[in-house]
Amino acid sequence: MLAFKSFSKRFALGIVGVGVSFGLSLTPVMAKDITIQVWAGGSNVNDSYRVDAITMAADILEKEAAILGEDLNITVETKYDFDGWGGFKQAVTLAAEANKAPHIVVTGHEDIAPWSQSGLIRPIENYVDFDTWPLSDLFENLVEIASFEGTIYGVPQDAESRPFFAWIPHLKAIGYSKADIRALPGKILSGNYTLYDVLDDAKKIQDAGLVKPGYGFYPRVSKGGDYWQFYLSFGGEMSDSKSGKLVFDRSAMKNFYTFFAKAVEMGVTRKNHIGTPWDQWYSEVASGKAGLWHGGTWHYSRYTGKEGLKDFFGNIVFGLIPAGDKNGRANTITHPLVYLVTNRGSEDDAQIAAQLVAIASEPRINTLHAIKSAHLGITKSQQNVPLYANNRWASEATKLLLPHASAMPNHTNFSPYFDAMWKGLEASWTGQKSPEKAVADVEAELRANLGNDIIIR
Amino acid sequence: MSAKLGYIFIAPALALVVLFFLAPVLMTGVFSMTNMSTATGITGGSYQITPSVLSQLGDQGFDRKILKRIGSESYSISEKGLLAATKADVKTELVEELRERYLGETFASRRLFERFLKKLDNRPRSIRTLKSTSPHFRKSLIKERFASTKELLQSLEEMDLGLTQVQTDELVDASYTGWIWTGENFRKMFLLPETKQILLNTGFYVASTLLLFNIGFALVLAVTTFYLPKGQAALFRALWFLPRITPSVLYVLLWKWLTWDTGFINAVVTNFGVTPRNWMLDTAANAWVTVIMINGFIGASMGMILFSSAITSIPKQMLYASEVDGANRWQQIRHIILPQLKWPILFITVYQTLSLLTSFEQIFLSTDGGPGSSTEVWALSAYHTALDNYWGNLQYGYGAALALVLVLVGVIMSLIYLRFFRFDELIKTPRIEQ
Repeated sequence: MLAFKSFSKRFALGIVGVGVSFGLSLTPVMAKDITIQVWAGGSNVNDSYRVDAITMAADILEKEAAILGEDLNITVETKYDFDGWGGFKQAVTLAAEANKAPHIVVTGHEDIAPWSQSGLIRPIENYVDFDTWPLSDLFENLVEIASFEGTIYGVPQDAESRPFFAWIPHLKAIGYSKADIRALPGKILSGNYTLYDVLDDAKKIQDAGLVKPGYGFYPRVSKGGDYWQFYLSFGGEMSDSKSGKLVFDRSAMKNFYTFFAKAVEMGVTRKNHIGTPWDQWYSEVASGKAGLWHGGTWHYSRYTGKEGLKDFFGNIVFGLIPAGDKNGRANTITHPLVYLVTNRGSEDDAQIAAQLVAIASEPRINTLHAIKSAHLGITKSQQNVPLYANNRWASEATKLLLPHASAMPNHTNFSPYFDAMWKGLEASWTGQKSPEKAVADVEAELRANLGNDIIIR
Repeated sequence: MSAKLGYIFIAPALALVVLFFLAPVLMTGVFSMTNMSTATGITGGSYQITPSVLSQLGDQGFDRKILKRIGSESYSISEKGLLAATKADVKTELVEELRERYLGETFASRRLFERFLKKLDNRPRSIRTLKSTSPHFRKSLIKERFASTKELLQSLEEMDLGLTQVQTDELVDASYTGWIWTGENFRKMFLLPETKQILLNTGFYVASTLLLFNIGFALVLAVTTFYLPKGQAALFRALWFLPRITPSVLYVLLWKWLTWDTGFINAVVTNFGVTPRNWMLDTAANAWVTVIMINGFIGASMGMILFSSAITSIPKQMLYASEVDGANRWQQIRHIILPQLKWPILFITVYQTLSLLTSFEQIFLSTDGGPGSSTEVWALSAYHTALDNYWGNLQYGYGAALALVLVLVGVIMSLIYLRFFRFDELIKTPRIEQ
């Protein structure tokens, strides 16, 4: 009986086995081998997850395909050691002219405008579903930044933001209570603490002898996207969301220039501040030699690392860049990198490349990059990933800053506009021109250079 | 026979000249008459109707009703779409479901349409199928990319917009993504205030480097080493040759170590109570001094060698005779040596002006045109415009126009020098051979 049972069991197993193998042989097993190249610009060894995330994604996609009975073999070739941004962009564009671009590139969002026009990149929205997790979980404003002319071209890869900082001991010395300091970020957000309050506090700190003259308000020392924040603070707009054209707002620009001229006039910012060496600047702001200043989220690691600031949260309070007047709003600018899928290969290749990008954007995988490289995340649920949530800086900065972040516009002619804005600012700051004259000169230059691409109002 | 042999011998050199000189100059000329950039690509464009194309046409007075129709993205479940879907192997059940229950419905965007598809009973079960299903029902031109004029025209025709020939042409022109021929670059160069600044920078840089170092300092070196014993003279000259034979990147790096905030100069002067600063980039004056010295130290060695050999070829008897006459060193230099150096000095002036005008690698490696754009010279500006631009859009066309100006200035200056300094006299056949 026992023998029979075991026989019948074996028999049954045998039948099942034959059946299964027969069944499997009927399922069309489509073997597909594909090589996906990923290049990341502006990266060093700390940013390796920009490309490694794609390799991890390939592993997952292969497994998913196997379950669906597809034999998918993806080989990922990665490269991120380029000769700076310039070298990287040249490499990508020239390779693309020869139809040898990598399938996926990681680059600044500003490349979307020219690369989409030249056809170098494909709209990623044609290949992945932004209503499906993890893409549905991306911060909406970051997705907006990865879009151009109403089409989503890329998936945000990481984010940063440029906050406003103040040195807590100095604030306390001029009469701020602990509760006042805790409430400061909220006051900034609601517009109740403006840029002119910044100058007043800077003056008080200076008058109290806590910092040297010219150190009350201690801005960025070189040209940078950060300065557009002050234009936004006075109600300026960089581009028109409807027509996609650039926007030059005379009165916002004038108020923005006037603010810095005023800071110099009050003596809280040095006239020759621009050009101060970065090393000096970092060591000063991280050691209480300045009162209030603005910087970037990546400064955290510099202050607490090289500059040796032991207790960041005990000494520094941070928030959005305050509004300038009632026309403007508290804001911050972010410059995210994005994953872009290029025109290389067939539609199928692009489909796979895009799926890899989607998987690589899953919170857990992206968190590896965010924390290793001291960047901010891209999805809301990263706050629930322990590695991210337990990093106090990443999680607090994300909560406070990212939802209010905007970016410089994706426009092929933004570069000349940027140059002109900067020249005008330098001229008003150093007193070479009055803010009115500087604005008029910038306007004249923009009319000559950009013509119809810019709305002047 | 000998002429043929000559051509054969010269052929490799000729090929190189054509490949590395004539062709680039020609290409620069061609590029400078285009609006080529990263956005237009180099190899040609296609056609794309984007919101900004439509707004541009609107500004030009194009019929706004038509623009609105072209600009609205729509997806509709029509027999035509269903047929196309069937042909493309979309699941029959899905096609049937759409036909039976939703025929005639329209959606304002791809996203809305796909959200709708995902709610169907026979919904596409993978993102891949979803994404390959929706395009069959698209009914718009916006966000589409057309590889050729023919494709664009065909789609325009299908829209049945009743366009006139003029309107069609305007649409085709405005939606072209590639480069076009234009003289705009030169107009822009003339209008932009920064052109003047860069021109002044270039003039200042070339003149100061040339006068102070390539000629001035080179003369000092040549004359002083002439009066030294031979061995020592050779040593000094060899030392001054170092900047020229050191690789540029390394050489400029040494300057950076010297001038940076934590560099050698600061390490020394802080002992005397001077606050450390970046001696290369602190002010425009700092930057100019460093840039001119970096280039001058390289340039001086060439003049030094040329002038030294010219001085040694001055007959010694003249110097002895002058000493007998009671001339001091300065009088020897002023009345014997310098007059004999006229031709080498002219040669160095000509040669170095042209090479300074076009060389920018040391400036690029050291200040990169900063602080602000105070040390931005013409060649560097052409490079930045065409090949290294902060905000992504490299302007090949405008950069080439800038470079072309440099080529023209070089050619014109060579001609002037040739005439003005009478080079023909310099190279004419010695009388003894006549």
